Amino acid sequence: MTSVGDRAEGWRRLAMSVLLGLLYVFLYAPILFVIYASFSEDIVWPFPPSFTTDAYAELFDNSLYSDALKNSLIIGLGSGILSTLFATAGVIGVLRFPSRRRALILIAFLAPLFVAELLIGISSLAFNARLLGLPGNLFSAIAANAVEGTAFAFLIVLAQLVRYDWQMDDAAMVFGASPLRCFWEVTLPAIWPSLFGAFLISFILAFNNLEISFYNLGAIPTLPSVAWGSLRFGLGPELFALAALTNGLVFAVFALMYVLMRTGIVKFGYRGV
Amino acid sequence: MTRIPPLLLLAGPGVLFILVTLLLPLLAIFMFSFWRTESYELYPDWNLDNYRVLFTEAAYRTFLLRSLIGALVTSLLCLLYAWPVAYFIARHGGRYRLLLVLLLAAPFFTGVILRIAALQGIFGPGGLINMALGIFGLPPIAALMYTPLAATIGHVYLFVPFMVTAIYLSLVNFNFDLLETAKINGAGPWRAFIEVTWPLNWIGTAIGLALVFIPCLASAVTPRFLGGPSATSFGMSLGQQFGETGTWALGSAMGVVLFAFSLLVLAVMGFTVNLKRSGFTGMGAR
Repeated sequence: MTSVGDRAEGWRRLAMSVLLGLLYVFLYAPILFVIYASFSEDIVWPFPPSFTTDAYAELFDNSLYSDALKNSLIIGLGSGILSTLFATAGVIGVLRFPSRRRALILIAFLAPLFVAELLIGISSLAFNARLLGLPGNLFSAIAANAVEGTAFAFLIVLAQLVRYDWQMDDAAMVFGASPLRCFWEVTLPAIWPSLFGAFLISFILAFNNLEISFYNLGAIPTLPSVAWGSLRFGLGPELFALAALTNGLVFAVFALMYVLMRTGIVKFGYRGV
Repeated sequence: MTRIPPLLLLAGPGVLFILVTLLLPLLAIFMFSFWRTESYELYPDWNLDNYRVLFTEAAYRTFLLRSLIGALVTSLLCLLYAWPVAYFIARHGGRYRLLLVLLLAAPFFTGVILRIAALQGIFGPGGLINMALGIFGLPPIAALMYTPLAATIGHVYLFVPFMVTAIYLSLVNFNFDLLETAKINGAGPWRAFIEVTWPLNWIGTAIGLALVFIPCLASAVTPRFLGGPSATSFGMSLGQQFGETGTWALGSAMGVVLFAFSLLVLAVMGFTVNLKRSGFTGMGAR
């Protein structure tokens, strides 16, 4: 028997799922446009369609793009790894060892969320260039990006670990496991999906960052700064081609994840049935 | 040998890193904001000229006001849209929850500039929408081309995933059984939402609002490409001080003003967030 309340609940649920669907359409329309435009002959007036793969050939011929991609990858990986390490250690510290300083530590880790990227960019530029006399370099870019990345990673790991049951770890310790071994064999297998999520988010943020990287790098090209530079003369279709390839890879990974979740081989932290 | 407390050992490196790479640079621009720039060089003669210029010249006030209104409108739109979406994923997403959230993050694999160029390609004069209207003999929608509305749509596009994710991260730790309790005690669904779900997840909403409001206030790229000729934002002007015009001291003062708004947002959160009542941090449990 379904009551009136259940039916209303069903309608609300349907309405929410429609909103979610529309959000995906809104978010992916420009992505599809990028993929479409990467195959079109004229990027400024891409309609009606006329297809070519020139952009892809040009992409692999021009070394500027491979340099930019390499630098973006270095910044993304460096910042992603740093952020995940700092954030995970911080979250475990805050959750396992309650202290009166906990609120202060939380504020310190989350503070970067309250500083705009532009401000992180220009302030580290001002600090490095004027006070330390450093020219633009990859290390400052990695560090400045990792500030923001650490805050996001902290938020993500904290949200997932709040409900983690530390008694398992305590049990391992009672049986003589060292803290490090305990982390490696008990904690990590249980929490890796959230660490992976944190790494992924901090990687993407740094990989594609314009405003932090731009001010910290000087003349060193990254993908966003090449895009920014080429805007003056109109965007190169090669960048669309590269974005299309990236998206293809991302969707392949998602499809794989979907299959793994569907069959229940890997649950990615989901504890239900 | 003295033992280092484990909390310090674990959280110390991260805190130290943030202090060095975030706080020191911010202090540096605070200092520079009282200096003077002449032909691209900074001179340490302490004065308040930069702030005087900022607060007396009408152009800067206009930029700031324009960015403020834009940021407020965007935050509100994101808030209204994100709540039902996050709620749906957290409550009904089941085993696909993570995938549904990652789908919100995936557009970030495509750089901001490309996505904005694509939005332009969809809304712009030769874009998809206007081309389609043209086929049916309809006039193009002028409101979508190089207007504040277009810039706002661009901002919502860029930042709504942050809002959804923040609310979602709060809701995954929310005990939905509480709603059953509310229902048994006679509360309708809306009343239960307003009195239980909303206040217990306020920290997620507040973080989401900050994650939208702050970058939006500093936004430079989006208004430049979508907003049209009269959309110069505070962030655009700030970026110019460190680029084209090379007036670093004035730019630093603008940065300090921007940071003052961050502190304001933080203060509002500090007064309204009660960690003991938030499922998100679970800090009340101990």
